[in-house]
Amino acid sequence: MTNHWRDIKNADVIMINGANPAEAHPVGFQWFMKAKLDPTKGPGSGGGAKLIHADPRFSRTSAVSDMYLRIRTGTDVAYFGGLINYVIQNNKYHDEYVKNYTNASFIINKDYKFKDGLFSGYDAKKRTYAVETWAYDNEPGPDKYAKRDESLKDPHCVFQLIKNHYSRYTPEMVQTITGIPKEDFLKVAQIVGEMGRPDKVMTIVYAVGLTHHTTGSQLIRSAAVLQLLLGNIGRPGGGMNAERGHANIQGNTDNAISWEILPGYLKVPLPGQKTIEDYVKVSASKRLLGISWNFFGTNYKKFIVSLLKTWYGDSANKSNDFAFSYLPKPAGNSSWMTIYDQALQGKMEGVMLSGMTAASIGPDSNQVLTALSKLKWLAVMDPFPTTSSEFWHASGLNPADVQTEVFMLPTTHWIEKDGSFVNSGRWMQWKDQVIPPVGDSRHDHWIVAELFHRVKALYQKDGGKFPDPIVHLTMDYKDPLKPSLDEIAREVNGKDLKTGKRLATFAKLMDDGTTTSGNWIYVGSYPEKGNMAKRRKGVQDPAKNDPTGMGFYPEWAWTWPLNRRILYNRASADMSGKPWDPKRAGIAWNGSKWVGDVPDYPPKMNPKDPKAWLPFTMNGEGVARLFASSMLDGPIPEHYEPVESPVKNALHPDMSASPTAFLYDKAAKRENRFGTPDEYPIIATTYRLTEHEHYVTQQVPHLVQLQPEPFVEIPTALANERGVKTGDMVRVRSKRGKIEVRAVVTNRVGQLDLGGKKVYQVGIPIHWGYVGIAAEMHPEKSKFWMANNLTPFVGDANSRTPEFKAFLVQIEKLA
Amino acid sequence: MAEHFVQPPHWEWYIVGYFFCAGLAGGLYVLATLLRITGSPRNDAVVRAAFLAAFPLVVACGILLTIDLGQPLRFWHMMINTTPGDGGLNFKPWSPISLGTWALLVFGIFSFVSFLLALWRRGSSTIFEVIGSVVALFLASYTGVVLSVSNQPVWSDSWAIGGLFVASALSGSAALLVLLAHWRANSSWSEPRLDRADRYFVLLEAALIVVFFVTLAQAGTLAKTFSGVWLVMWILVFLSLIPALLGSAGSRRTLSAVAVLVGVLLMRYVVIFSAQS
Amino acid sequence: MPEPVGFFTDTSICIGCKACEVACKEWNQLPGNTPKFGDGFDNTGQLDAENYRHVKFVDLVGDTPIVTGNGNAWLMMSDICKHCTNASCLEVCPTNAIVRTEYNTVLIQQDACNGCRDCISACPFGAIGFSESSGTARKCTMCYDRLQANMQPACAKACPTQSIQYGTLSQLHQKADARLAALKKQGYDNAQLYGRDDSIYGGLGAFFLLMNKPEVYGLPNKDNAVLPRRNNRMGYFGGFVTAAIGIVAGLVAFRSRADAPPAKGAEPPASAP
Ligand SMILES: Nc1nc2c(c(=O)[nH]1)N[C@H]1C(S)=C(S)[C@@H](COP(=O)(O)OP(=O)(O)OC[C@H]3O[C@@H](n4cnc5c(=O)[nH]c(N)nc54)[C@H](O)[C@@H]3O)O[C@H]1N2
Ligand SMILES: Nc1nc2c(c(=O)[nH]1)N[C@H]1C(S)=C(S)[C@@H](COP(=O)(O)OP(=O)(O)OC[C@H]3O[C@@H](n4cnc5c(=O)[nH]c(N)nc54)[C@H](O)[C@@H]3O)O[C@H]1N2
Ligand code: SF4
Ligand code: SF4
Ligand code: SF4
Ligand code: SF4
Ligand code: SF4
Ligand SMILES: [Mo]
Repeated sequence: MTNHWRDIKNADVIMINGANPAEAHPVGFQWFMKAKLDPTKGPGSGGGAKLIHADPRFSRTSAVSDMYLRIRTGTDVAYFGGLINYVIQNNKYHDEYVKNYTNASFIINKDYKFKDGLFSGYDAKKRTYAVETWAYDNEPGPDKYAKRDESLKDPHCVFQLIKNHYSRYTPEMVQTITGIPKEDFLKVAQIVGEMGRPDKVMTIVYAVGLTHHTTGSQLIRSAAVLQLLLGNIGRPGGGMNAERGHANIQGNTDNAISWEILPGYLKVPLPGQKTIEDYVKVSASKRLLGISWNFFGTNYKKFIVSLLKTWYGDSANKSNDFAFSYLPKPAGNSSWMTIYDQALQGKMEGVMLSGMTAASIGPDSNQVLTALSKLKWLAVMDPFPTTSSEFWHASGLNPADVQTEVFMLPTTHWIEKDGSFVNSGRWMQWKDQVIPPVGDSRHDHWIVAELFHRVKALYQKDGGKFPDPIVHLTMDYKDPLKPSLDEIAREVNGKDLKTGKRLATFAKLMDDGTTTSGNWIYVGSYPEKGNMAKRRKGVQDPAKNDPTGMGFYPEWAWTWPLNRRILYNRASADMSGKPWDPKRAGIAWNGSKWVGDVPDYPPKMNPKDPKAWLPFTMNGEGVARLFASSMLDGPIPEHYEPVESPVKNALHPDMSASPTAFLYDKAAKRENRFGTPDEYPIIATTYRLTEHEHYVTQQVPHLVQLQPEPFVEIPTALANERGVKTGDMVRVRSKRGKIEVRAVVTNRVGQLDLGGKKVYQVGIPIHWGYVGIAAEMHPEKSKFWMANNLTPFVGDANSRTPEFKAFLVQIEKLA
Repeated sequence: MAEHFVQPPHWEWYIVGYFFCAGLAGGLYVLATLLRITGSPRNDAVVRAAFLAAFPLVVACGILLTIDLGQPLRFWHMMINTTPGDGGLNFKPWSPISLGTWALLVFGIFSFVSFLLALWRRGSSTIFEVIGSVVALFLASYTGVVLSVSNQPVWSDSWAIGGLFVASALSGSAALLVLLAHWRANSSWSEPRLDRADRYFVLLEAALIVVFFVTLAQAGTLAKTFSGVWLVMWILVFLSLIPALLGSAGSRRTLSAVAVLVGVLLMRYVVIFSAQS
Repeated sequence: MPEPVGFFTDTSICIGCKACEVACKEWNQLPGNTPKFGDGFDNTGQLDAENYRHVKFVDLVGDTPIVTGNGNAWLMMSDICKHCTNASCLEVCPTNAIVRTEYNTVLIQQDACNGCRDCISACPFGAIGFSESSGTARKCTMCYDRLQANMQPACAKACPTQSIQYGTLSQLHQKADARLAALKKQGYDNAQLYGRDDSIYGGLGAFFLLMNKPEVYGLPNKDNAVLPRRNNRMGYFGGFVTAAIGIVAGLVAFRSRADAPPAKGAEPPASAP
């Protein structure tokens, strides 16, 4: 989230796409309801914020939204593109913001082109783009600053490119692609257009309904472009707000759960980068304008050096380039699907799973299960048996044939340990242990520590090809076999090695090896003053604890970076430092300093100074990107069909699906596992229900009572065609597998009219498998309960996120 | 139209049995009293049989009612208030179940005394029996009223169940006495009279079933009890009345009495189960 | 005496999350029933001895691609014992196990109840269930134990949207009136308060803002919200009249006219005179 949960109460319009917060984030949803019930919020003359929910299914979020739009899954780029077009054509954008705070005025390379669904630079063989033609046109001179046209008239300036690009997204086109009737779309457009006014603000809320597509990254970017045009980024009540997943998934991402980043979003080094200099040169952003601070790029080296000092202590010093050589430099992709793809190809010896069940979470579970059965060993660290630790029970596997040796390492559940959760709003909140560990279970960090020490001992004893990264790793904990999370939190915060004192801000990090920090964005979370995540000054005394009344509550827990509640908050004020909407100030220049939230800006920098930095201090541009050359699948979001779709792309039928989506089976020369619309005419999507947390709650009796059995939501009309009633058993099949579950017949899902072609959408909750209380009640049936038996093994070009949310199926009634 | 959103109390066989026994016990006592008042000493054998049978049936009532409770050992809470600070007796005249419990207790005393006297072949005072009969009639009637005083469909849609249960208590007990008379010596004088009475009572019962249906039809909930298997049972209930209405003698008379008794039981069964279905 | 307290449940902002159901079960240590598929979203089915809260779902969504939700199309309502001012259950309970507490709530004292289940047949909202394990009737206690410790009921505490609001009834009435006015202004003509005034059982301690007619939610409307005792008078009267007729009929049948006792084995008269 650029903003945070509580901030949603400040919005006039809450646009929800690809998310079902009432069900997936019910507690955070209270802020949506606060906004709705607040008569001072809302478009027009107020009367309560308006919730606009676009979703393939009418869900519990739709039930309390002011407007629900039945959208075809995977088509939100068309929806947002249509809104972008409306906003530009009708001059509803926030002119001053767009000119000064975005790269609208930047001139792009003259060779940049977009034609027939392809951007310039496409290599059809590799299915990738060469991005040179997407670059900015440079001013002459040594700094290579970007050329700009502040009048936004130059045909090669970003604004004109965007305007031109989206002119194809007419309301009619939106209807044809998304299935949203033109009139309804225009109703939404009108409300959204109003949000370009400085005194109005809209937030866009999304989650995995946008990410789980081969076009996921661009789906999100299309919404961000709209928000930038409306001037809503950086403002309270605005922003692009990703509702994250597990209670601590934000903390996980910050601390490098993804293979391509190091803690604090530093990039993983690439092969050939021999020195820190090489690494920083490629990884850090460059200053593109004289008045751009380029904070991240400028300080990149400090962050990586401090990280290496944290990990390798005295073994990291100037003479060995701070042990940079110890870092792995992977040549290939190592994302989730790649792991199982490698296993399928027999290139993986063993896998350790911790807090995640590979077998259920798919995609294409049958393929993943085959992959697991090709491993020599599988170690599962989990408080409960999972579909992975019991994977040989799956349908299609013969236990006798599975040679994989499976180890179960019972861990404590997070409820049995303390530590921090970082929520979607980047709030790091410390929690206490609620109940003591059960039985012989051990904390994950103890298991990992012990494992590490045993491996280290082996290296010390036997040597090895490159033992240094292992034997030199520091483990400066009181009991190195049993580190406490408090110790780790202090280590992550980092310290000044000269004084031995913990730091309070990353501004103090150095690139000379005199500071440590396990994650630069967490500097300040645990300074000498103590654990900031434990602070709890909240609604006991709102007047005192929330002085601005904006819901910042600065002394409740701690937010990265530096306890800033709203990212890019410099953009909440105009060029002179006056808030766009004084009633909803983020920060304001009071003549001598910035007040309000913790400013995303030098606290005393006078905005009227001609040399004052531009507002988006992290970027090389100093402004936000409407046009982004850093994306692998195109600088401007374009609508592509899901890989399995019942229709051809109405914009460019010959370039229907994303040309850069990563097709694993094809790349590995395996047989195609995609279905065609004649065989599988029905669109399916998968999702969560309030009552379960993925798979783990299959162990919780109260929740199994609330949602005992899997089902598929089927439109009434389709159900009538197939003679199916609620409660009947049906088989849902895709090219990859099948499930056999109950039918829930309802108009909450329905038919779409796509330019004359009628298609049905059905919805499948993900929460069941062959493990858990319900599965034990139905041991045979539960073999066909896993939603991911159906989903395709294909990934987004940028993130390799699977296409869980759009695929084709066929449905039959079971006797 | 009356709409109901209640849940069934799951009053089932014990309660059917209780209502059946309570009706018969009450009816026997009343008939014995009436025979005593109107008849000659030639009825004595039957009167004695009635008093002898009434009390065991009351005991059965108490047992059935108690074991139907979720907490049988707390049956006495019906009479004694255990709410901290309150204490005293529980007596809620507007609650038929409260009133009925007392009625059962009081009738238990009457029927016990009459039982002992009958055992010792002593006569008792007519006043005593008349008062006992009033309580007996109340007992038979309240078992129906307790159903009406609820919010269950069917039950609460008719005020006639109290009457219906009285009528069927009388017809059932008359039928039972016919049987007893048939098997006992010295009862032949009473038997035709009982048979005649039974015919009247059966007529009364039939009339009340009709009234019951009319009240349900008015409330719009007739279909709930007058459809499916329940409809079949109602037809059987009506059929059970016919032999007695036509009148007969000898072994056919006992058969028709048995039919009446089965009908009485079945009628209570349908009323109780159909409403809760 | 504390001021009367209760719940105002605003169904227009209920998200059917069932946090209230679970919180209630946790607090009251209710085991819950055997898992059973209902209709996909409502698998609890009813209020009973293991579910003092039950979120009802009423799907009125039509087959059109755009719908105004706003609590209007897919109705969700967290149902509970209404803590009626004129409580049918309390009226019939023979053991006086059901009492009105100092908070003006209706409570079944578990140690007094003997499980006769008359209250179940009486409660017009189906709010009471019989517990096989305790052998008693059970329903929402309005968290009597929490109230005594000055805590709000568990369900209200857990409700994320504050669809369930706990407080003194006078405060809640005001809030409800304001919310209803706002909805009316937005054109929700069917929106109505249920049990806020005395037209339903003299007023409900747990009252609701509904987005449609009470019947749609499975609630008795004004005409159907009647007390069991309404049938007392006519019920006994019916019994009395029948008894009177019966006695007369009996007297007629038994009258000892001079007809001689039939000889042993002889046929009795074929029909009555
Ligand atoms: N109760 C509960 N809460 C959870 C979780 C849980 O398992 N249970 N899991 C947590 C985790 S890990 C995550 S990641 C989050 C996920 O939170 P959400 O993303 O909100 O969860 P989903 O239900 O997967 O998907 C949201 C909605 O996206 C819709 N959708 C699918 N495709 C499209 C599309 O193309 N466009 C649009 N506009 N909508 C689409 C689906 O119909 C669904 O209603 O939830 C978290 N919270
Ligand atoms: N078709 C389809 N597939 C999907 C999705 C979808 O929307 N559609 N969503 C995807 C998404 S966003 C996600 S996040 C995944 C979720 O998939 P998972 O993350 O696999 O799901 P959970 O059940 O949350 O798994 C968490 C596991 O962690 C264990 N656990 C809990 N606490 C601890 C702990 O402290 N230590 C350890 N070691 N284990 C612990 C639990 O017992 C449980 O087994 O599913 C993905 N798969
Ligand atoms: S499960 Fe936890 S994290 Fe998720 S909404 Fe509920 S309280 Fe929040
Ligand atoms: S709702 Fe039912 S149980 Fe609750 S007080 Fe009213 S009558 Fe009694
Ligand atoms: S079941 Fe318990 S609470 Fe209900 S009426 Fe009987 S004694 Fe009273
Ligand atoms: S008030 Fe207490 S007992 Fe009643 S429903 Fe709420 S949590 Fe359950
Ligand atoms: S907790 Fe609140 S929002 Fe959730 S179902 Fe219950 S009443 Fe509705
Ligand atoms: Mo997730």
